[in-house]
Amino acid sequence: MKELRGAKLWITIGLVALSCLPALVVENNYLLQVCFRIALFAALGLAWNLVGGYAGQLSLGHVAFFGLGAYGLAILASHSVPVPIAVLIASLLATLVAALIGKIVFRLRGPYFTLATIACGEVLRLTATNLNITGGAIGLTVPTVFTGPMFWKLYYLSAVALAAGCFLVNFWTANSRFGYYLMAIREDEDTASAVGVDTANYKLRSLLLSAFLTAMAGALYGSAFQYIVPDNILTIDISVQMAIIAMLGGAGTLLGPIVGAILLLGASETFKTQFQESHLLIYGILIVLVVLFLPEGIVGGIEQLLRSRRKAAKPPAPTPNQSPAISAVEKGN
Amino acid sequence: MVHFLQACMNGLLTGALYALIGMGLALIFGVMRIVNFAHGSFLMVGMYVSYLLFERLKINPYYGFIAAGIFLFGFGYLVYKLLIQPIRDRSDFMQILMTTGIALILVDTAQLTFGADYHQTNIDLVNRAVHFGPFTLNAASLLSFGIATVFIVGLREFVVRSRTGQALRAIAQNRDVAPLMGINVTRIQGFSFALGIAFAGIAGGLLLPALYLFPSVGEDYTLKAFVIVVLGGMGSIEGAAMGGLVLGVAESLTSTYIGNQWALAIDFVLFLLMLSLKPSGIFGRQRA
Repeated sequence: MKELRGAKLWITIGLVALSCLPALVVENNYLLQVCFRIALFAALGLAWNLVGGYAGQLSLGHVAFFGLGAYGLAILASHSVPVPIAVLIASLLATLVAALIGKIVFRLRGPYFTLATIACGEVLRLTATNLNITGGAIGLTVPTVFTGPMFWKLYYLSAVALAAGCFLVNFWTANSRFGYYLMAIREDEDTASAVGVDTANYKLRSLLLSAFLTAMAGALYGSAFQYIVPDNILTIDISVQMAIIAMLGGAGTLLGPIVGAILLLGASETFKTQFQESHLLIYGILIVLVVLFLPEGIVGGIEQLLRSRRKAAKPPAPTPNQSPAISAVEKGN
Repeated sequence: MVHFLQACMNGLLTGALYALIGMGLALIFGVMRIVNFAHGSFLMVGMYVSYLLFERLKINPYYGFIAAGIFLFGFGYLVYKLLIQPIRDRSDFMQILMTTGIALILVDTAQLTFGADYHQTNIDLVNRAVHFGPFTLNAASLLSFGIATVFIVGLREFVVRSRTGQALRAIAQNRDVAPLMGINVTRIQGFSFALGIAFAGIAGGLLLPALYLFPSVGEDYTLKAFVIVVLGGMGSIEGAAMGGLVLGVAESLTSTYIGNQWALAIDFVLFLLMLSLKPSGIFGRQRA
């Protein structure tokens, strides 16, 4: 098991090195921008994965944290706070708001939880639209970090770095006691609580972590596009995209959100000329197909296939009574 | 005081349409336990059906809404058979994803077909007002209110008195025992889903004269519909009707006294408060 983990880590390092490649090879700015968005949404998918994948809580309100990151950076920077500190403060602020939101929404389950998260995101959008400090519907300008001809290359690399950070957090989660608790909650919350997992506490912790990372991504996004309006940066579409990316690739898997981001943004980029404004159509079709035929997602589906083949090849090892938590742990790897 | 009562009355007029939307969702979500995140998108489809009839055939929306309801009934049944029935026993998680996907497909197909432009039906009823005493009411809204009331009462009577309605309530009470009593759960569930969607379509047709029409017009109504069902108490058709009226009045009072732009925020605040404080709904009994 340890060796396997080591191998996985090396694969990861290789992946990160590989994902730096476009920055060296690609010169076309538009293409670089597409790569930037793929890396950023991979980071978002991975951040969402902590709550939606490992803990199994279908949040459609993550845009709240994304927006707080972007707006926090814009507002703080306009009061001449240096950008890195502004990003940090904004992300911590988003984490604080997440603690508040979590207190409300984690009392609910199933559709009520999802609806409550949507409501939180929408309340933030309405607030940003109607307050002066956020520039109302007109929006705010966000300071850039990089300038010059290397602009998109540097932004792309920052997004890769963020995605790598999110990946490491996911990696740690998948292999830690914290992550096992989350997966136990996903499989059966009542049982988890009965065997002594403080479910409310662990769900909240996963949300805090996820919110911090999501807010960082929001700040990066805002600063790359330099201009934010509520209908653009606080729209529920972003929450939905985060969820679809993770689900398509495989929620609760390490590589799932990355695969999902590449496929989803790749597909929407490819069909852009056909569908123009209706680029979400492809998302809709993909979700319906995934739910019908591949409920574990692409990576999850492949893992399941490999597992069943391994089982067929080897006679079943004497496993001491498989609890749902243990099978969840296996699924997570 | 006149001001306050006027706001309440306007709220009731809107609330009757909310009641229609909410009762539709109460059938689907409250009774049949299908989490339908595409409810508002079906409402949007209803609006487009009614709009196309008005635009191409010059049919008044106040007749067109019937066609919208019938069309949406068939469409809803088709969607149930193709997409909902295969996953109806899966988790809420999957149902939410599926219906979110359906919503995206509906909205973006509308956008692809009709463009993102705003459309409006100019019928003169919308600009006419009815006065009585110190109060002024919009004639079109008053007509919608009347039609909506007929459908609300009709649906309630149907659920309480008809054989299908009894079967429906039996499933709501105990899903495991109902089939043992000879009730075809799949058939009833498909029918309820279609009927709920048809009510969204009817509400869409009735809303058309009062609103601008664009592809994502229904998005707010999905959340509103869930707010209404939660307000009224899960699984209660009458509760949903009352919930719709309460929401209409709450919105109207908010936009009168706080500001128009906050009317939507009150939905969410009401929703979060309701779920945290009294999840069984204002009128709901706690269900086992």
